[in-house]
Amino acid sequence: MTFTDLLYKIFIQDGGWLTILNGLWVTVQISALSLLFGTLFGALLCFFRVGKFKPLKVAAQIYISIIRGSPVLMLLMLLFYGVFARTGLSPLLVAVVTFSMHTAAHVAELLRSSLMALDKGQVEAARTLGFSKWQAFKLVTLPQLARIAKPVYQSTVVNLIQWTSVVGYVTITDLTRVINNIASRTMQPMITIMGGMIIYLALSYIIYGIFHWTERRRSQ
Amino acid sequence: MKLKKIAKVLLSCVMAGALFTGCGGGDTPAKTDGDKPAAGSSAPIKLGMITPLNTDETTLGELIDKGAEKLGDKDIKHLPKFYDNLNTMQLAVEAGEIEQISTFQSVANYLIASNDKYELVENKNLEKINSVFCFAVRKEDTQLKADLDKVIGEMKSDGSLDKLTKEYVNDVKADNIPKVEIPTIDGAETIKVGVMGDLPPLDLILPDNSPAGFNTALLAEIAKRLNKNIEIVQIDGGARAAALSSKVIDVVFWVIVPLGNDDIPLDIDKPEGVELSEPYFKDNVAHLKLKK
Repeated sequence: MTFTDLLYKIFIQDGGWLTILNGLWVTVQISALSLLFGTLFGALLCFFRVGKFKPLKVAAQIYISIIRGSPVLMLLMLLFYGVFARTGLSPLLVAVVTFSMHTAAHVAELLRSSLMALDKGQVEAARTLGFSKWQAFKLVTLPQLARIAKPVYQSTVVNLIQWTSVVGYVTITDLTRVINNIASRTMQPMITIMGGMIIYLALSYIIYGIFHWTERRRSQ
Repeated sequence: MKLKKIAKVLLSCVMAGALFTGCGGGDTPAKTDGDKPAAGSSAPIKLGMITPLNTDETTLGELIDKGAEKLGDKDIKHLPKFYDNLNTMQLAVEAGEIEQISTFQSVANYLIASNDKYELVENKNLEKINSVFCFAVRKEDTQLKADLDKVIGEMKSDGSLDKLTKEYVNDVKADNIPKVEIPTIDGAETIKVGVMGDLPPLDLILPDNSPAGFNTALLAEIAKRLNKNIEIVQIDGGARAAALSSKVIDVVFWVIVPLGNDDIPLDIDKPEGVELSEPYFKDNVAHLKLKK
């Protein structure tokens, strides 16, 4: 069998590509929702973490250290087969909760480190000029925070997409699961996994491309 | 533009890697060919196996050697290496990490028909070792176990189990796996069954993402006879026990090597709190290696 025949058999024959697209869609769904909720929750955690209210500060600190120090697969299995086992929540929802929690811890830390890199004098200057707290945050802190946090946030997004590849453990058929199924059916794991890797790589480059495009628009 | 160039270079690297590592059609053998060592040789055969639950590689290696010795293979020593599934074992054998893959005869036949890089290791003694396939249920689900045992018994006696075995295992063609329709009965109880989809022709997922193979065909027949719905849930092998105990699934497929003696005890792959049904299928152990 030639290499082209093999590629056809693995990725095209009997509509295999459609199943790959379905798996990709599941990966995109989990990643996008987790990114949205993880970013919002992460911002809130960061707010608590840098705030002056001690109990929330400590709680945020503990949460971040536990979640950042645990493998995401363990957290996923613990939530799906333990905490939410009898609640009837769909596996997809549990996966979104897990990855949102995990992303939130990372986003909280990246926002905190970006905040620390800011020049506090600028906010003080803005306040002296009569800006309210909110105006100083919105017009002085936020734009700089976004600029500093952007490169690390971009990596977090790409990492999140890759982390989702373990959802097969909780009965979800995502891109990795589909690729594994094809590898098992065709008994050609090497080429199938490489195909899967190219799709993940393409997904990552779409993310890099989006960030690159927004950067260019901003600088124009 | 720059980004486009980087993407092109990366894609070319991956494709070149694919070609050089010999995926699908390459004929580079592993460092060792996996043949039997010469009489008196003490070099153990690195043997890839699916990870059992209750033992480690060293203990299982000793048990296998003891069993082989009893069967007359005194000179062969084994060094098992555990893997999660057949795919990873294939990657390991192609990378020279292991010399042989231990699997079932039906799976080995399917693999050879699908990938011409592999061949069977000739060893008559392997035919003497049978693996038995059964269902695993939670210990407290006594009624479910009794139902499954009853249906398996009926199917054995009326010949329908043999018919299914012939259609889905013996006569099956690797590139033409029949689709299985599982009937839906309105208002009936649903049994959730975990499948891994990584053991064709017994358990696999078709290109349209539907489960198929002998195990699925058997489930369809069981559903009909029990007048219950069967919901197939695809799950990773490593999460089987967790899924069963947390009631995400009710039944999972299980395989045992039923020597049941000091050599290979029955509980070598059986977790606590699990009961095994009557066996429904028996297959020889087969070892595969890369062709020279």
